[in-house]
Amino acid sequence: MGKKSIRIQLNQEAVECTVDDNMTLLDLLRDVLDLTGTKKGCDTGECGACTVILDGKTVNACLILAVDADGSEVQTIEGTGKLNLHPLQISFVENGAIQCGFCTPGFIMSAKALLDRNPKPTDEEIKNALSGNLCRCGSYNKILTAMHKVISKE
Amino acid sequence: MSVNKDECDVVGKNLPRIDALTKVRGEAKYVSDIKVPGMLCGKILRSPLAHARVLNIDSTRAECLHGVKAVITYKDTLKKVFGVNMRTANNLLLQNEKVRYVGDQVGAVAAVDEEIALEALSLIKVDYEELPGVFNPFEAMKPGAPKIHKEENNIALSASRSFGDIERGFAQSDFIVEDEFYSPPIAHCCLEPRGCMASVDASGRLTVWSTTQTPHPLREELSDVLGIPMARIRVIQQFMGGGFGSRMGMDPIDGIACLLSLKTGKPVRIVNTRDEEFLSSRIRYPMWIWLKTGVKRNGRLHVRQVNIITDNGAYNMEGDSVMGNAIGKIAQLYAIPNVKYEGKLVYTNNVYGGPCRGYGNPQITYAIEIQMDKIAEIVNMDPAEIRLMNANDPNSTTVSGLQITSCGLKDCIREVVEISGWKGKRSKKPGQQLSIRRGIGMATMIHGGAGVKFFWGDNCNFSASTVKLNSDGTADLFTGSAELGQGSNTVLAMIAAEELGLKLEDINITNGDTLITPSCRGAWASRQTFTAGLAVKLACQDAKRQLFEFAGYLLEANPEDLVAKGRSIFVKENPSKSIPIAKATSEAYFNMGTPIIGKGVNSDPWSSKPDPKTGYGNPTSAYAFATQAAEVEVDTQTGYVKVLNMYCAHDVGKAINPLMAECQIEGGVLSMGMGYALTEKLIMENGEVKNRNFTDYRIMTMADSCNVHTILVETIDPRGPFGAKGVGEPAMIPTAAAIANAIYNAVGVWILDLPITPEKVVKAIKNKQELKVV
Repeated sequence: MGKKSIRIQLNQEAVECTVDDNMTLLDLLRDVLDLTGTKKGCDTGECGACTVILDGKTVNACLILAVDADGSEVQTIEGTGKLNLHPLQISFVENGAIQCGFCTPGFIMSAKALLDRNPKPTDEEIKNALSGNLCRCGSYNKILTAMHKVISKE
Repeated sequence: MSVNKDECDVVGKNLPRIDALTKVRGEAKYVSDIKVPGMLCGKILRSPLAHARVLNIDSTRAECLHGVKAVITYKDTLKKVFGVNMRTANNLLLQNEKVRYVGDQVGAVAAVDEEIALEALSLIKVDYEELPGVFNPFEAMKPGAPKIHKEENNIALSASRSFGDIERGFAQSDFIVEDEFYSPPIAHCCLEPRGCMASVDASGRLTVWSTTQTPHPLREELSDVLGIPMARIRVIQQFMGGGFGSRMGMDPIDGIACLLSLKTGKPVRIVNTRDEEFLSSRIRYPMWIWLKTGVKRNGRLHVRQVNIITDNGAYNMEGDSVMGNAIGKIAQLYAIPNVKYEGKLVYTNNVYGGPCRGYGNPQITYAIEIQMDKIAEIVNMDPAEIRLMNANDPNSTTVSGLQITSCGLKDCIREVVEISGWKGKRSKKPGQQLSIRRGIGMATMIHGGAGVKFFWGDNCNFSASTVKLNSDGTADLFTGSAELGQGSNTVLAMIAAEELGLKLEDINITNGDTLITPSCRGAWASRQTFTAGLAVKLACQDAKRQLFEFAGYLLEANPEDLVAKGRSIFVKENPSKSIPIAKATSEAYFNMGTPIIGKGVNSDPWSSKPDPKTGYGNPTSAYAFATQAAEVEVDTQTGYVKVLNMYCAHDVGKAINPLMAECQIEGGVLSMGMGYALTEKLIMENGEVKNRNFTDYRIMTMADSCNVHTILVETIDPRGPFGAKGVGEPAMIPTAAAIANAIYNAVGVWILDLPITPEKVVKAIKNKQELKVV
């Protein structure tokens, strides 16, 4: 097992670290950088709880090797609304889109990436973009409502 | 019924959850997010065989691996059985003689990291003598079947009850309907995998952070299996990514993490992988249900008989009470004079069952409510009409002794008929596309909404709470309840704020920490709002009584004439005579030297354990009711069912927070309700769960969601806090039956074994030769 030094732009800050070459981006975030807002729900890319934005696109951080993120820009929930809450975060709070909250950071990241590239998505586009994020509490409709409220304000 | 909305400042308002900001920022710490210096990674060695004798375990090589700090087997345990029902408990933290399903725990390691821990597991050598297994309860009951525990024919429990006279009942019936239903094994699929971290300090005190729905009972169980006094164990319930029943009572993980910490002197964290979660987590009990009903020509239900065979799996957890709750429903949902129920709980070498949202009720409601539609057709009545005719009324006693107080079942049925456009949609519309058919169907349910007296003791459904009024007029609230994500902390804080005359932000709530919160049985049986809510209310009343002594002195008024509202205390008949609450608390602290501490104990005085001989009795203090209608589209070519609309009317007594009650209902329908109906089933092969991921075990996604129209029926329960009763489980109980009945309305076939897959629908349509094209 080798080690490699990588550089990522993480939540608008430059981060340099040495990682094992079999370490996932998820484990780097959670175990090395203590950014536990990104959740580990399955570790196989099926639940979406570890969704982060990598160079503008959503990825399951559990399916990306940390070494492959070298030179990339990574956004996590900790960097979202650091100073002021993102409108999506406010809307999730106000519209009951959160229950147990374990899936919430992943949903926020998927929703944010969608609105960043498409500020006026249709319901079908929203459902497609968010169907990789599972919520066992079943907050899907409340999340949709929260998104509608943000979209109509923009 | 309705209440004067002006009477409440906080209760009945759509306030955001108090933990929402923490969660939406990603700052909420779940068990798997906790990290402490020196923490070790724990891993469990699970049996690859479904049934085998354990001859020898050699852990020498694992112990020698660099980085391994401890390896434990049954020799490191007290070999004490555990479970919420100690009369039947037969599971061990680590098995010693036999393993009984694929995933059974035989050993565990603690190592400096996960990789080493996994390597250590592979170095533990277990000599098994494989035994023949049995994987189906019908096979398991046959003479000569492999014996899993000491019981002959593998029957863990055989139960039979009867009320009235069923033989006469069937003789007097005009029509008799008989069906067989099947409910498959279901996984809870909490998004957060189960986890536990245990940390022992230098004086031998254990602190345990666990994904538990029952922090106080967990401490009792840990004390018992570890042989450590309760005063040396502190259980803390962390933020939790769902529970849905799977985290009631102790899981082996909890005890094993403690043993590893005690052995190493270090903090040890064990978190299931998703694979382990599917392989070894308790499941919804699979049931085979035979149901027979006699009905009068006018649609009156006259007699009902049920026989249930339940796959208990490898160990006793709560199969007896889950099956009891299921079979009892045939005497409870509708007013029926003659009933008989029988059930057998049978061991197999499958993963064992446990509580799963609804506690046997989703299984039986699926059967009862499909058969109800069959009966409606036979007596030529509308499904809504026949339900209205047979529904229970408020303040009635059922044939099995249930004392129903508030009951909005008829209102729920009428509301659903109203909002769904039932009448128009039931009549077939001409011009429908030939291959795609639409239909609408309904189902109702009754469920306990206040906990139940089954567990830990004969009179044990209590909750306790304390509240400290601070000198500045704010309050610290302590409750032993468990917040799994359902929102109980917000609801309990709202109850406290209302009772104390404060605002929600004035309440600082701490829950489920056994060192500092009073005992509560925890979150199960939809009991937190009612049972813990009442304890909170009583604690606040106690604090208020003390506070009014000082306020009465300051206002020169009789304390009994005072009320607290909007952060003020005033004289009821003369509201201009008032002082801020903060002034009264300040007086208490600084001039009278008397900090105020309120105590509330809700012993649940209204219910009792049913008579063990007859089964007659009232185990719950309040009952929740609901009716849901599903509108579906069925593709007759592919069998694909699309749910278009769900109309849900729920008698919640009183919605403390209507938005959150709606979240529970909508969420229960969209995820666990529709999944149970359409896609979910654990595939078992020789005692092993095969579909151990979210691709092969498909739960609902946002793309599957439909419109959910929710109506909260407020019957104002006479006992519940501000009239409230439980809603958590009811949310998903009638969903599958409503969908099944809608499919029948669309294409004329009933699927009696869940889930309703496209294959089954297509096959049933093909088999039904008389299906006519409209």
